[in-house]
Amino acid sequence: MMNELLEKYFRAETSLTEEQELKHYFSTGNVSPAHEMYRALFDAFEQEKQDIAIEPLKKVIRSKRKEGIGWIKILSYSGIAAAIVLAFWIQRPQQPENYAVIHGTRIDNPEYAQRYAERKMNSVNEMLKEGLRPMQAMEAVKQSLQPLKKIKETHGNIIETEKDSQH
Amino acid sequence: MRHYKCMESIQFNNQILNHSDQLFRLAKSILRNGDAAKDAVQELIMKLWEKRIQLDDVENMQAFMMRSMRNLCLDIIRQQHDEDELPAEFEYAERNPYQQTEQKDFASQIRNMIDKLPELQRTIIRMRDVEGMELAEIAYVTLLTENAVSVNLSRARQKIREQIIKEQKRVEETVWK
Repeated sequence: MMNELLEKYFRAETSLTEEQELKHYFSTGNVSPAHEMYRALFDAFEQEKQDIAIEPLKKVIRSKRKEGIGWIKILSYSGIAAAIVLAFWIQRPQQPENYAVIHGTRIDNPEYAQRYAERKMNSVNEMLKEGLRPMQAMEAVKQSLQPLKKIKETHGNIIETEKDSQH
Repeated sequence: MRHYKCMESIQFNNQILNHSDQLFRLAKSILRNGDAAKDAVQELIMKLWEKRIQLDDVENMQAFMMRSMRNLCLDIIRQQHDEDELPAEFEYAERNPYQQTEQKDFASQIRNMIDKLPELQRTIIRMRDVEGMELAEIAYVTLLTENAVSVNLSRARQKIREQIIKEQKRVEETVWK
């Protein structure tokens, strides 16, 4: 029976069902010694069926393309970010360094500089006051001259009335 | 629109996934090189993705993909022949002693015997005996008539049988000696 089927198999006259039957026959322990040498043939087919495409192949096109685009996106985003950071770094407004120079020495302590400035301002104030003192004296003279001015006015009035009476 | 595209790619991926192992085995059988086979399958997937709209009209997806895979592999072999005029058969048939001793079990020896068959015969015997395809499907993939497929299948099986018998005799002789 199996002999016949085997002969048919080698003539390529078996159907898929019959071939399934043969495979089953050789996968069990009950194989006639005459057929034993063909067992390896069906084992070979079975081995080859286990030969599968390994993982990377299974990531098919779309996901692969997405991955590619993802990388490009990540790269371009980080590139843009880097450019912005770099631009800020370069164009960063230079922090104005505040310092005062007193008698050729650089003073970085603002409190000291302020106290120094106030002291100087005060002395300027004093100097101004000192300078204005003669002016104050002039004002006093001006005031004391006020009665003289009155006399002059009265004198003028008198002359005018004399002129009127002559007419 | 986006949803539609997403569905389309999922569908495409599933179709490929269902057949990727078969495509890989076919490519490996023709090219007789696992890495080259992987590259070929990737290339085929790219090509099929570009023509995915036309795939809707395909009745037997498996057979269609197998046929495309075989044609692509034959192109690759032809290009190789043009580049270096070494016959592919020659290079492959030579196996170093290490490889020979490595193949202890008879089954892998037989796989090696199948690899040495002409391309058409090894493709046909594998599509039938490994993949369990109908003669009509094999005829479609190989662009042959069913009868021609049957003849080639018979030749392939007979050749392997002869080698099995020869190997069996050799083993028996060494045992008796």
